[in-house]
Amino acid sequence: MGEIILTMKGIDKTFPGVHALDNVDFELCRGEVHALMGENGAGKSTLMKVLTGIYKKDKGTIIYDGKTVEFTNPREAQQAGIVIVHQELNMLGHLTVAQNIFIGREFMKGIRIDDERMNVEAARLFKRLNINIDPTEKMSNLTVGKQQMCEIAKAISHEAKIIVFDEPTAALTESEVNELFEIIRDLKKKDIGIIYITHRMDEIKLITDRVSVMRDGAYVGTLISKDSTKNDIVNMMVGRVIYEEPKTESKVAEDAPVVLKVEGLNAGKLVRDVSFELHKGEILGFSGLMGAGRTETAKAIIGADPKESGDIYVNGKKVEINTPEDAVKCGIGYLSEDRKRYGLMLQRNVAENSTITFLENFMKGIFIDNKKENNETEKYIESLAIKTPGIDQLIINLSGGNQQKVILTKWLVRNCDILIFDEPTRGIDVGAKSDIYKLMNELVKEGKSIIMISSELPEILRMSDRIIVMCEGRKSGELRIEEASQEKIMHLATLRN
Amino acid sequence: MYNSQICTIVRCANFYRIIFSNRHRREIVYRIRQSPLVKKIGFNRIVLFLVLLAMYCFFAVFAKNFVSYNRLLSAMNYAYFLGFLSLGVTFVIATGGIDFSIGPVMFCAAIMSGYLLTHYHWPLWLCLISSVVIGMLYGTLNGYLVAYKSVPSFITSMAIMQISKGVASVFTKAQSVSWPQLVQENGWYRNLIKTRVGNTYIPVGMIILLTTAIICAIVLNKTKMGRYLLSLGSNKEAVWLSGVNVKKWEMIAYIICGTLAGIAAIFFVAAYTTVQPGYGDQYNNEAIAGCVMGGTSMGGGLASIGGTFIGVMIISILQEGILAIGLNKNYQLVITGIIVIVAVYLDVISRQKRN
Repeated sequence: MGEIILTMKGIDKTFPGVHALDNVDFELCRGEVHALMGENGAGKSTLMKVLTGIYKKDKGTIIYDGKTVEFTNPREAQQAGIVIVHQELNMLGHLTVAQNIFIGREFMKGIRIDDERMNVEAARLFKRLNINIDPTEKMSNLTVGKQQMCEIAKAISHEAKIIVFDEPTAALTESEVNELFEIIRDLKKKDIGIIYITHRMDEIKLITDRVSVMRDGAYVGTLISKDSTKNDIVNMMVGRVIYEEPKTESKVAEDAPVVLKVEGLNAGKLVRDVSFELHKGEILGFSGLMGAGRTETAKAIIGADPKESGDIYVNGKKVEINTPEDAVKCGIGYLSEDRKRYGLMLQRNVAENSTITFLENFMKGIFIDNKKENNETEKYIESLAIKTPGIDQLIINLSGGNQQKVILTKWLVRNCDILIFDEPTRGIDVGAKSDIYKLMNELVKEGKSIIMISSELPEILRMSDRIIVMCEGRKSGELRIEEASQEKIMHLATLRN
Repeated sequence: MYNSQICTIVRCANFYRIIFSNRHRREIVYRIRQSPLVKKIGFNRIVLFLVLLAMYCFFAVFAKNFVSYNRLLSAMNYAYFLGFLSLGVTFVIATGGIDFSIGPVMFCAAIMSGYLLTHYHWPLWLCLISSVVIGMLYGTLNGYLVAYKSVPSFITSMAIMQISKGVASVFTKAQSVSWPQLVQENGWYRNLIKTRVGNTYIPVGMIILLTTAIICAIVLNKTKMGRYLLSLGSNKEAVWLSGVNVKKWEMIAYIICGTLAGIAAIFFVAAYTTVQPGYGDQYNNEAIAGCVMGGTSMGGGLASIGGTFIGVMIISILQEGILAIGLNKNYQLVITGIIVIVAVYLDVISRQKRN
């Protein structure tokens, strides 16, 4: 670790009704990877937005590179050498890699854009970072991981001195994560300071030097990564100890009835001849790499994507499912991986978001029975510990974890027997994660059955009774929890046939 | 004595500074917004109502003889048909769509049913019904294309705007149609906007419009249909995945919109009697302006019938007021155009703030 490059002191920021940052301190050295952790809504993003000039701070000082600074917009920060690599990538799919990297500052040859020179410069940049990407490739042809590396290359090309990573590994596969870590280690050697926002505990030891923890908008403390344990950090984050051990044996009887049976399902390139059974009271884990076809399989089952062929049986009876409406009628609920795009109605409130699946149940003649609706919602707010000022709060004002719980609520309200949870804990904090695990375990105890699609192996191993692994649209294997391990799953996930 | 006066002045100045310092102003606005009564009615609607009052006062001061019952009645002539158009388009905009065909559809309905009345001598009641049915048919066509065939509502409604203009012209061989006057045979329909009782007029149109607005508000906020329309305007994919037949509900929004345009046609002819084919576009913008001004978001998912109602009043009073202060009709177009831009711009800003 080198000298200090960034000091944020006593940062204070208030939004109407919310004290978002309360006297927060933060410090970063050259060549350091400094993790920033905290539950959703703890203020990590707000702090970074204050740093890069998206928000104006109310109080406090920022000393960067020896000078007191106050950026008024992200562009100024970028020019000064502070760059954010966002969780959601901001790449233009129809342009080439080089065009994306130099967007807004293209090399010109007269009035024409000099694509050749951009390709050469991009190639030189990639070489410097040991990234193996063709600059003339179309961005949309790259995997999420490669796109992220382009984003990093873009940051470096801005002569960045500080790079902020906002949950960079949320959408990456294991091998891509390793590649990313190699690059980060390389950046460290180049004396670049790195702020690393993450929810994944395992990454702390692997890649970071120090961890700063925030809670409810306040700074809690900083630990040296190699001297701290997982529990230390979690305790600082939530102020209580929570940790669940992996499941070692299935809790489902061998002869439990089959509630959902899928036979020879085909739908596009990513669902080829998929067959499986789901038993009553079971959590069936779906594992595999990005683009293995797990989400596509789920969508084909519920009729959100058109099927080419294949039969679906619910409780032994063959059913025709052509739209999500049919699926819901058969008692199948699907929780999407992309809650903003496919789950939330941002302008509507908590109650409306909770009851949309089963409005028929809340009618009194032709009118909606608000009292019944509110009571039901209130019940779930309590039992799922959803943090919201009230049922009439717009859902956009809730933190990610609480939004996720509200979306879960809508399927609980509907009382579906078969639940497909697609990445149920993506991008949410440890506290909410543990709440959702607990809920899933309670649901199966009540006799519901769950298909859980997850990219996190520890999550798959902790929750599933049985695991199906997919690779390139095909089911490449099925493991009982007793025999499953990370290595076995990874082997199946890369088993191309 | 002298001293205490200075003290008072200083204190006042200080108070003034506090009120207008940014942070306290925000705090005060926030407090007002959070009070239960304001929350119930809606902060934006209160502001909008104050704008309406201020505008009326402005014209009362600067225009000659503006404050009179008859003047108000004449302003309301405009408000009735515009109100129905605006209420209808509120449903469509709530779903995240747009309808640019309502004005010409209203004209088409008025012209065709008027032609049926004057040339084919259909009974008046049947003509009034046919006007509503014509509006409904256009709405159904529009809704079908948008909901079931996924054609953008922007395009379909533009196309239907042209079709309806063309159909009206073909039907009447490009002649204008004059509905009968009150004293003529079949003239009683004009009583639908105002009825003379003794020496005064009763604004029947206002009663009908208000009743319709209240029904619309109930439908939008208290029924399953309204809930689905707003929800799918907020996130269509999410509602679809929740197992709702979004296509059906989306189409219904357009049918409501078309039907109300057909009703608007009746109130248009009741006010002005003569309709010319090939016009009607300007009312699209005015109806949409009234709706967006009232707090219905162009992005969908948020709608306010009360707001639409006040928005329509503002535009109608403005039309009358502009003429009253001595500006000609062309200024009306300029000013309404500016209002559309400002209303939509404010909507865009508030959406950005929310995100």
